Amino acid sequence: MSSKHPIGIDLEDLARQDALTRRAKSALSYFVLGLFVLISVGPILYVISPAFRESKSLFSYPPQWLPNSFYLGNFKFLLTETNYIRWGINTLIFATSVTLISLVIDTLAGYAFARMNFPGKKLLFGCILATLMVPTAALLAPTYLLVRNLDRWTFGLIGLDTFGGLIIPMTVSPLGVFMMRQFIETLPKGLYEAARIDGASEWRIFTKIVLPLMKPAVVVLGIFVFMQQWANFLWPLVITTKDETRVLTVGIATLQGQFVTNWGVIAAATLMTIAPIIMVFLFFQRWFVQASVAGALKQ
Amino acid sequence: MAEVIIRKLTKTFGDNTVVKSVSLKVEDGEFLVLLGPSGCGKSTILRLIAGLEDVTSGEILINGEIVNFVNPVDRNAAFVFQNYALYPHMTVRKNIAFPLETAKLPKEEVLKTVNEAGRILELDQLMDRLPSQLSGGQRQRVALARAIVRKPVVFLMDEPLSNLDAQLRQQTRIELMELHQRLGITTIYVTHDQIEAMTMGKRIVILKDGELQQIDTPTRTYEKPANTFVARFMGAPPMNLIKGEISLASGQLEFKGDGFTSSLDYLKMGLTPDLISRHNNETVSLGVRPEHIEISSDVSAGELSGVVKFLEPTGADLFVNIAIGEETAVVRCQPKAKVQIGTKVSLKFASENVQLFGADSWNINSNL
Repeated sequence: MSSKHPIGIDLEDLARQDALTRRAKSALSYFVLGLFVLISVGPILYVISPAFRESKSLFSYPPQWLPNSFYLGNFKFLLTETNYIRWGINTLIFATSVTLISLVIDTLAGYAFARMNFPGKKLLFGCILATLMVPTAALLAPTYLLVRNLDRWTFGLIGLDTFGGLIIPMTVSPLGVFMMRQFIETLPKGLYEAARIDGASEWRIFTKIVLPLMKPAVVVLGIFVFMQQWANFLWPLVITTKDETRVLTVGIATLQGQFVTNWGVIAAATLMTIAPIIMVFLFFQRWFVQASVAGALKQ
Repeated sequence: MAEVIIRKLTKTFGDNTVVKSVSLKVEDGEFLVLLGPSGCGKSTILRLIAGLEDVTSGEILINGEIVNFVNPVDRNAAFVFQNYALYPHMTVRKNIAFPLETAKLPKEEVLKTVNEAGRILELDQLMDRLPSQLSGGQRQRVALARAIVRKPVVFLMDEPLSNLDAQLRQQTRIELMELHQRLGITTIYVTHDQIEAMTMGKRIVILKDGELQQIDTPTRTYEKPANTFVARFMGAPPMNLIKGEISLASGQLEFKGDGFTSSLDYLKMGLTPDLISRHNNETVSLGVRPEHIEISSDVSAGELSGVVKFLEPTGADLFVNIAIGEETAVVRCQPKAKVQIGTKVSLKFASENVQLFGADSWNINSNL
C-alpha cells in the first residue's frame, strides 16, 4: 500500500527516486576520487615494480607489470656501489637544518607582522609578499654568485660545496612568514591583552602563549618545508659539485649514465628516497587536519 | 584600593572620536558602572584606563598619579574580559599562576596565592582542568581568580556576564557583589544591561556616542533622568515622553498637549517659576514612568486621554499601549486589570512623578 500525501504525491516513489539519485552521485564521487588517486599515486606505484626487478627484464616483451620474484640486487648495488648513504645523510642534515631555521625565522617574523606595531610594517610585509612573484629560477644565478662570494667573508662556512651555502639561502620563505602571520592573526586578541596586563613581555607572550597555540601550524609548516627541501633538486644541483656534498636528488640524477642507465637502480633509489617522506606525512597527518580547521572554528 | 580620576578623556580612531572629553571620579572602594548602548565608548574608556589603548588627549589618574604613559602591568589594574581570555592550553592552576610567575615570585608564594584564590572562588576541584573543560560560569571564576591574585588596586570588568545565560548571570552577579564586599577593591564595571547596572552599581555613568549623559545613583538615574536619552534608556518599558508646551497659570504649571491640558504642582516637581518661564513657548517633553500612570475609563473633556491599542501580558504585569494622538504611551497595570482594546481611557499621574525635558532634550530641572 503506497503512502500518499494529501495532494496526491506518491511518497514511496519519491523516496525511491531520491535513493537512486544519491547512489548515482555517490558513484560519480568515487569515480572522480579514484581517478584523482590514480593520477597522484600512480607514478609512485609505477616505480615499485622496476625497483624489485633486474634491469634486463624491464624492457622485456610482453611487458611484465609485477616481478616474478623480489630482486634485491638494485638496493644492494645502491648501498654498496654508490654514495647513496652519504647523500642520504647530507639530505637529512640539509632538510632538517632548513626546516628548523625556517621555523624560527617564520614564526618570529609572523608574530612581528601579526601582533607588533613598527614603522614600515605594511611596506615591509608587502615587499616580502612581492618576492613570491619572483620565479625561483630567476634568483638562482644571483644567489649562486652571492654564496660564492661569501666564501672568503665567512671563512669558508658559506660557499660552494658547503652546508652553509646549501642551507642558508633556503631558510628564507615568504610563504612561511605569510602562513605564520595568518595563523597568529586568528588567535583571539584578548589573549595578548590579558598577557600584557599580567605583565608579560613580548617575548614571554610569544613563547608561553602564542607558540604553544601555534603547534599545529608549526608542525604543518615544518612538514611542508622538510618535504620541499628533501625533494629540492635545483639549488643543490647548482651549489654542489662534489659527491661528498651532494644530496639524494642530485645524487640519483648522477646515476643516469651518458650511454647506459640502470633504471632498476634508479627506481630503487627513488623508492628509498620517497619512503621517509611518506612515513613523516603519515605520522604527522592529524596535525594537518588540526591546522586546517583551526582558523575555521570559533574558539 | 585606589581612587581613579579621568579628566577630559578623549580617544580618536582615525576620524572617529569614540570618547569625547569624559571626566569622572571613582571613589576608593566604589563599584561604578559604565552603562550605555553598543558603541557608546564605555569599553574604550575601560581599555584606556587599563592601558590597552593610548589616550588621544586627557588624563587618567590612579591614586593621584597620572598613568597615561605607564605600562598596563604597572598600573596595578586587573582586567576581566568579556570572553574571559583564558589561556586555552594552560590548566586552571597555570592560568591563575601566570601573572605571578611572570612577576617571578617564589614558587611557594605562587602556590599559596593560587590555592587561596582557588578557594575563594570555589575552584579547588577544577584546578587541573583546561578551560575547554569548564562551563561558562566556571571560566568566569577562573578569570576573576587570575585577576585577584595580582592584588590589584582597581578591577576593570568589561561585560563579564554577557556570555552567560540569564539564570547563571543572576547568580554570578550576586557572587560578584559578594566578592566586591569582601575585597573592597575599586571596581569599574562595563555593561549594556541596565538590570546589572541598577543592582550592582553604587553609581551609574550613562554614556551615549562617547559623551557622558549622567553620573548618579541607580535610583536617581531612574527617577530623575538628566535627559530624554537616559529617560528612555533606563527602565523597561522606557519612560513615556509626551510633547507639549508649558506655562504658569493660577499658581500651577499648565502642560498643553495635543488636545489636552494637565495641571501640575511645580513645587512637588522641584521646579521654580523662573525655570518654567525659561521654557515658555518651547516644545517640551513630559516624562512619566509606566508604573506611575493610572488609567480610567472615566474620561473628561480636555484631560489627557487615549485609545488602548495593544495589551502585553507578562505574567507579573499587564502593559497597556495607548495611542495619544500620534504618540504612544505604555502603562503598567495589574495582570488581571480589565482593559479592552479600542476603549478610550484617561491617564492620571502625580506631579512628583513627572519630569520635564526642554527642546534640547535635557531635564529642565537644573537642580538635579
